[in-house]
Amino acid sequence: MIKQFLSKLPRKSQKSDSFDSDGFDSGNRTSNSGNGVQCTNIGNSITSRLSVVKRVSSAVFPANIMAGVEAVEPNLSFKDVSNPQKQSLFISKLNLCCEVSDFSEPDKATSEKDIRRQTLIELVDFVSSGSAKFNEPAVAALCKMCAINLFRVFPPRYRSNTSSGEAEDDEPMFDPAWSNLQLVYDLLLRFIDYNSLDAKVAKKHVDHSFILRLLDLFESDDPRERDCLKTILHRIYGKFMVHRPFVRKAVSNIIYRFVLETERHNGIAELLEIFGSIISGFAIPLKEEHKTFLWRALIPLHKPKSVGVYHQQLTYCVVQFIDKDQKLANSVIKGLLKYWPITNSQKELMFISELEEILEMTNMVEFQKIMVPVFRRIACCLNSSHYQVAERAHLLWNNEHILNLVTHNRHVIFPLIFPSLEWNSRNHWNQAVLNLTHNIRKMFSEMDEELLLACQRKLEEENSQSIEAAEKRKLAWERLETTAAAFKPPATNVIPPVQPAAPQVAC
Amino acid sequence: MAMIDEPLYPIAVLIDELKNEDIQLRLNSIRKLSTIARALGEERTRKELIPFLSENNDDDDEVLLAMAEELGVFIPYVGGVEYGNVLLPPLETLCIVEETCVRDKAVESLCRVGAQMREQDLVEFFIPMLKRLAAGEWFTARVSSCGLFHIAYPSAPEALKTELRTIYGQLCQDDMPMVRRSAATNLGKFAATIEAPHLKVDIMPMFNDLTQDDQDSVRLLAVEGCAALGKLLEPQDCVAHILPVIVSFSQDKSWRVRYMVANQLYELCEAVGPEPTRSDLVPAYVRLLRDNEAEVRIAAAGKVTKFCRILNSELAIQNILPCVKELSTDSSQHVRSALASVIMGMAPILGKDATIEQLLPIFLSLLKDEFPDVRLNIISKLDQVNQVIGIDLLSQSLLPAIVELAEDRHWRVRLAIIEYIPLLASQLGVGFFDDKLGALCMQWLKDKVYSIRDAAANNVKRLAEEFGPEWALQHIVPQVLDMINNPHYLYRMTILQAISLLAPVMGAEITCSNLLPVVINASKDRVPNIKFNVAKVLQSLIPIVDQSVVEKTIRPCLVELSEDPDVDVRFFATQALQSSDQLTMMSS
Repeated sequence: MIKQFLSKLPRKSQKSDSFDSDGFDSGNRTSNSGNGVQCTNIGNSITSRLSVVKRVSSAVFPANIMAGVEAVEPNLSFKDVSNPQKQSLFISKLNLCCEVSDFSEPDKATSEKDIRRQTLIELVDFVSSGSAKFNEPAVAALCKMCAINLFRVFPPRYRSNTSSGEAEDDEPMFDPAWSNLQLVYDLLLRFIDYNSLDAKVAKKHVDHSFILRLLDLFESDDPRERDCLKTILHRIYGKFMVHRPFVRKAVSNIIYRFVLETERHNGIAELLEIFGSIISGFAIPLKEEHKTFLWRALIPLHKPKSVGVYHQQLTYCVVQFIDKDQKLANSVIKGLLKYWPITNSQKELMFISELEEILEMTNMVEFQKIMVPVFRRIACCLNSSHYQVAERAHLLWNNEHILNLVTHNRHVIFPLIFPSLEWNSRNHWNQAVLNLTHNIRKMFSEMDEELLLACQRKLEEENSQSIEAAEKRKLAWERLETTAAAFKPPATNVIPPVQPAAPQVAC
Repeated sequence: MAMIDEPLYPIAVLIDELKNEDIQLRLNSIRKLSTIARALGEERTRKELIPFLSENNDDDDEVLLAMAEELGVFIPYVGGVEYGNVLLPPLETLCIVEETCVRDKAVESLCRVGAQMREQDLVEFFIPMLKRLAAGEWFTARVSSCGLFHIAYPSAPEALKTELRTIYGQLCQDDMPMVRRSAATNLGKFAATIEAPHLKVDIMPMFNDLTQDDQDSVRLLAVEGCAALGKLLEPQDCVAHILPVIVSFSQDKSWRVRYMVANQLYELCEAVGPEPTRSDLVPAYVRLLRDNEAEVRIAAAGKVTKFCRILNSELAIQNILPCVKELSTDSSQHVRSALASVIMGMAPILGKDATIEQLLPIFLSLLKDEFPDVRLNIISKLDQVNQVIGIDLLSQSLLPAIVELAEDRHWRVRLAIIEYIPLLASQLGVGFFDDKLGALCMQWLKDKVYSIRDAAANNVKRLAEEFGPEWALQHIVPQVLDMINNPHYLYRMTILQAISLLAPVMGAEITCSNLLPVVINASKDRVPNIKFNVAKVLQSLIPIVDQSVVEKTIRPCLVELSEDPDVDVRFFATQALQSSDQLTMMSS
């Protein structure tokens, strides 16, 4: 749906084709989540409204006095001024929109809000007609207007004022000022996308601080806003080559903070969606900096409990990396195993799917490096008492590529898996899982009867040994305890912790 | 048992365990690290165990966390403080890992170890380690380093002190916001160890940088440092450097920042002294009390008493009280609730007249609030107002509030008010209680919710304690015992529980004459649950009553129950009999 939204805008060729062309396609593939629908509506409603407003605005503001060229009365309509004056009218209109009204009270100052709204619509219209010229004052005025309207602090999101207190937790918040914000975003997008926009001039105002504050807005609770931001940030990344390293770094910092400090952020999915297309534009061989991003930011993103919200986008990013460099599969899988969920079955299902997707891209050499820990983990999943997890793990054998890898390495993998299959066929509660276990066993025995029998013998041996090993472990610790009991820490040597000296007061 | 004679290799046991696939086993063995160390002896712990641990840092975060914690208390096992430095290398590597809680724990342990180390060891080992971390390539090392400066600094010689201050200054301007946040968090702790002249010259610029950071999250943490830093400075410096910052923060566009200011503004009042408080901080606080954002008002309202305590009463009445009046009708129930939880504390500060004239109407309006939490918060602090004006003025409005809460449809609200009944009883006195509240207490014993009945039984006991056994015998016991005939067994059970709680308070005589017969009678109940609860109650009565009563009344009843057809009844009866046997044996 981004395409629909953007197809209404003049398309232009970008300097970096590799990034842009497949960038947007890929962005599309991953974005079929719920909030996408609204974006389509935005696109449609904007255009339909535009045609209406055009007529209205000329009726409301009939051509009257011609003001001086320098200070143009902002309430004039664009078609009522001469061409040279259009530029200063453009700036006056932008300045008019710099005053922000309070949208939390819908009945207050309605006429002002209406005027500002119509002005914004005119501005959008003017820019999309292609007649705007973005010289420095215009760029400055536009950026200032966007900053004043968009960069705001979000209200606290908990503690509803109703007495029920509970419920409505997952309901996204909709900003009451949205009708206004939406137009500002639309204008910003059209500006950045503007054909003749000179990035050299624009970058003075679309600077680091501007980008940083734009990124802060991804915290918004309103999915419509995050969707707009996503498109805009993507465009900025495309247009402003100089800002690319900065954008990557700033987004990494957001991810670090999310993973290491707060575990709260609304816009991770959107940020990852942008990164999905950025990554697919990376040149081969991958730079060290990009690999660091994979290891330090993307892989740890598997840890937070809210991973479900952005897992699809995350997987896409990871897969893009492996697509560029097969050797990375190994470290990604290690990361997955490190963050493998222990009690969260929903999350575990996602991990198995991602693992399958990655294994599918893994060649024999890389697979052999990692197969032992992977199949140890899969063996646990096969035994999961959550039937969906167990089922999902069994279904890995339906994947031809994986089956092929397993078959080639059966001497390593069968012994890892066999105890789980045995346990399942004796103890698992779920009939569907039992059937699947039975099928895999059958598949194994058809593949290599002898190996299976050997596994069986080994298992029996191990079972008897495990009791012995536990006994041995207990004994060893008991002996350690007795030896240790003889030791008395030299209590006299332990001095109480020193308090940091109080600062001496100098005279 | 053949292996008893084999030589024992503690390290080998550990290595073996740490290789196990089962994380629980690995965790267990790390938890028993001190056992291994003691078995090894100090020297081998230093030379073998610690180096092994330094290399074994590729495990699950859970195992690393346990290791970081254990190493913090390891000094005795490596041979005392003079060897404390051997613990630094493994903890240093743990300071660099990805997982936040492992790093935090490692820093905590390093502080613990460092605080005990000798001065020369700190200079020789601890400070170089600190410098390595602060210059770490990956930001996690630098984040960790910020929390260690306050340990190292006091022991450092002059030149090194200068260097440490410079390094901290660099960390405050680090490229990564994570590092700057950590530097902001730890600035107060570090500043507390720094000599006054350097405080002004070196630390204040760092603080100023942090307060102007372009990241909201960094500025937020800098606010947190305001109060701590303010207390370290001389009042005039505090006025010159901290006051303007906090005043501008109190008008920050981010509500989170204002929230932080609201939370700790009162702490700064002491640091700046009375005049600047009056001229700058009071207006700032008033603004926060009237903030647009409810969260900020909640924080400000919650500190209103603490703030007023610092002001003189005149200033409080003039400036703060009008805001309090507004807040008592705030649109947010949470603001009112926060206010209600502290407002009673204002009474002693304002004095009797102002309280009666100004505060009392506010109490009364909060007591009638539609939101139960608000009313509860007022009631919970009644004792404070009693000291100033006496409860008489309140009691008329109190009763309807209590009755309404007692019948609230949310059982948690009912539970909360029950908890306050003994407090109310002590404040209101016997007379008031007899008239109005007695019936309520009985009503709760028949509540639909178990927790309420449970609390009600406990409440009956506490009332008996408050007013004495004689009063209880007249006003509580008959009504309670009456309910043993309730047709529903769950209510009968509540009464049994109330009896077992009352008995120790009432004493042997009343127990034997009034309570025991009821219990014995209940042993004939048709519901097994009642019967085994009778057995449990009887067991609890044995130590209270006379031995002869036990022999004559309690034991025969228990013997009969111990032959009951129901297995649980038999079990508890037998258990009670056994405990009675034990008591007899001990006393004879």
